[in-house]
Amino acid sequence: MAVDIAFWILAAIAVVSAVAVVTLRDVFRAAIFLILCFFTTAGIFVTLNADFLAAMQVLVYIGAVAILLIFAILFTRDVQQGNPSNKLKVPAAIVGVVLLGVMVSSAVTFGWPESVYLPELADTADIGQRLFSENGYVVPVQIAGLMLLAAAIGAIVLMREK
Amino acid sequence: MSYYLIAPQITVAGFAVAVIMLDLFVKQKRLLPIVSVVGLLGGLGASIALWGQTETGFTNVLSVDRLAIFFSVIFCGAAALVVLASRDYVRNNFSRFEGEYYALIMLSVVGMMFLAAARDLIAIYVSLELVGISLYILAAFGRDGKSSEAGLKYLLLGGVASAVLIYGMAVVFGITGQTSLAGIYQAVAAAGLGLDNGMLLLGVVFIIAGFGFKIASIPFQMWVPDVYEGAPTTVTAFLSVASKAAGFVVLIRIFLEAFGQDLAIVSGWAMIFAVLAVLSMTIGNVAAIVQTNIKRMLGYSSIAQAGYLMVGLAAVSKTIGAGVTDPEVLFGPTGLLFYIGCYGFANLGVFIAVIAISNKIKSDSIADYAGIGHRAPVIALAMSICLVSLIGLPPAAGFLAKFYLFNTAVHHGLTWLVVIAVLNTAISAYYYFRVVKVAWFGTSTSQEAVPSGWGLRFALGISVAGVLVLFFYPSGVLDIARSAAEAVSGIALSAP
Amino acid sequence: MSVGVEHYLVLSAILFVIGMFGALTKQNSVVILMCIELMLNAANIVLVAFSRFLVPGTVLIDGHVFVIFVMVVAAAEAAVGLAIIMALYRTRKTSDATEINLMKG
Repeated sequence: MAVDIAFWILAAIAVVSAVAVVTLRDVFRAAIFLILCFFTTAGIFVTLNADFLAAMQVLVYIGAVAILLIFAILFTRDVQQGNPSNKLKVPAAIVGVVLLGVMVSSAVTFGWPESVYLPELADTADIGQRLFSENGYVVPVQIAGLMLLAAAIGAIVLMREK
Repeated sequence: MSYYLIAPQITVAGFAVAVIMLDLFVKQKRLLPIVSVVGLLGGLGASIALWGQTETGFTNVLSVDRLAIFFSVIFCGAAALVVLASRDYVRNNFSRFEGEYYALIMLSVVGMMFLAAARDLIAIYVSLELVGISLYILAAFGRDGKSSEAGLKYLLLGGVASAVLIYGMAVVFGITGQTSLAGIYQAVAAAGLGLDNGMLLLGVVFIIAGFGFKIASIPFQMWVPDVYEGAPTTVTAFLSVASKAAGFVVLIRIFLEAFGQDLAIVSGWAMIFAVLAVLSMTIGNVAAIVQTNIKRMLGYSSIAQAGYLMVGLAAVSKTIGAGVTDPEVLFGPTGLLFYIGCYGFANLGVFIAVIAISNKIKSDSIADYAGIGHRAPVIALAMSICLVSLIGLPPAAGFLAKFYLFNTAVHHGLTWLVVIAVLNTAISAYYYFRVVKVAWFGTSTSQEAVPSGWGLRFALGISVAGVLVLFFYPSGVLDIARSAAEAVSGIALSAP
Repeated sequence: MSVGVEHYLVLSAILFVIGMFGALTKQNSVVILMCIELMLNAANIVLVAFSRFLVPGTVLIDGHVFVIFVMVVAAAEAAVGLAIIMALYRTRKTSDATEINLMKG
């Protein structure tokens, strides 16, 4: 099935680019691979019938987060080229592999519902209804607004001259 | 729609915006802390006014029950005391951004109050991030190297913790298909899952890890010493009390409301908390002994205090399950709530004294506290009383809090945990008393008095009064704590 | 075997562990921030996959709403993180301006 083939290709690219993010010596290239990883994630969302989220993923993660990160790299690039690791590489790798084993084995053995082909997309109108209705998540939306206010105040305070 | 239920949050958020506006247009910066305190007291009053109302409101997202109100009062009260104590410190260190400083404290209080009432994973996550982001900024507010580094470390480790938390929440959502705690409770009960199921255990462990960061439990404590030392002292004071309390209220709510199905699940996660409690107490206390910087020492001490507090989360097993309907059974979270109240007053008292002293001597080294007892007898006396309360000795509230909590734990068959906790209390006496000793019996190079503003003295007075009043008249607060804890235990108790 | 929820879970577990490994071992704070975004991305994949597969035949909207909130938080966190990194860079201006060791307590 086309969706399955798409999943395997996207998953392979996502894993390779994630590995590149943590291994590449050049921070700027790592950021480029992060963007690639974000793009493939958007593709994975499409295979999961979540087109609206795929668009959001491109807009927010690539359009905002990745650009911010690249700004940060460019601002500090004259002093920062390498991507060194601390001394905990080996223990962290062991812990990581064990954690991965636990996560994978418990995910595979759980016994999830059978997957069936699903032709229709998640309705964007439904997402909006759920977000803004009083029986839905209107209060978290307000809280997120306050959070963005706090972040904006903080960014201004921290960036201004003393 | 019952918007009056979030009146405390609306009040405080409104005053936060008002403070920023005032900062822009008013020359008299003196007004800012006053307006902030008025806003916080407004939030506190509005919370108290909601005590006992029965409407839960906002269907599955928020529930303004007694537990939420109890913690809202703690958050508003702690923030008001910190704001009162901040004025001189803020003047000296970041006078240009006074309004923003007070506004961010108030915004994080709003987040904490939402966190205390949230009973839906999405609401919990977003409120937690409102608290987190405000505090990251406040930690970096000093904008010298140390403060920025503290803020950065706090943000990065907080980011990792919240990513772990969101993964855990995603797993729980995946198992149950629900985001509301009540829905999760029913779905897990209906599927007959236990913690022997790898996926559910993974979700629970990741959620504990995410909040373990907030309450500064071992092994998620890496940020504590550096952030406590590097952040502005007023922010550290706020962080050590309010942020920790916020972590605990969510843990109480998530685990009792969503994972209180049967004795097997409850004793499973209670055991996790018991182990974390032992680790936090022991490592925190031992590491605190060798510290020479008072803020670092208080950082490790707060890790140890998180350990004592987690005893309250470990002592829940007997109240749940078939046949236990005895209302007189001691309930761990009741002790936890009372302990948080006592810890809040005592820790704020110590930090306010540290703020007063560091305003004058510009040093956080314990050695420089020599002879403070003669230069500022009132402040030193207040600090000593609060330190005695942190140890858990009479005549301070900490004694009763520890007594009640440990007594509860013994009733739940956790004698081994209590033995370790009492041993730890003895260790902690050493480093707390060392500060008292240096302050009163050390010889100081200077004889200058330590001046302090009226706001700071008032805040210190309230903290000490709280510590003493809770020792001599604990029953009222214990009753309130009991009825607050029962707001969540009611759900667990009704389980078949 | 057609692709089911397990495949997405394994993929996201791999991304999550890579991100966590990077976040705990890297010293460059911008790279650590990138690794945190990787971890959040992994969590998002889990949420969307569960929304798609959990109830056969329909899509659970709650999971999608959750992802939107995660994205908002990620953006805010990145903005504040960048601001603090710039503030730190301004005060230090040395070669280790953005270096940090998270595991040293």
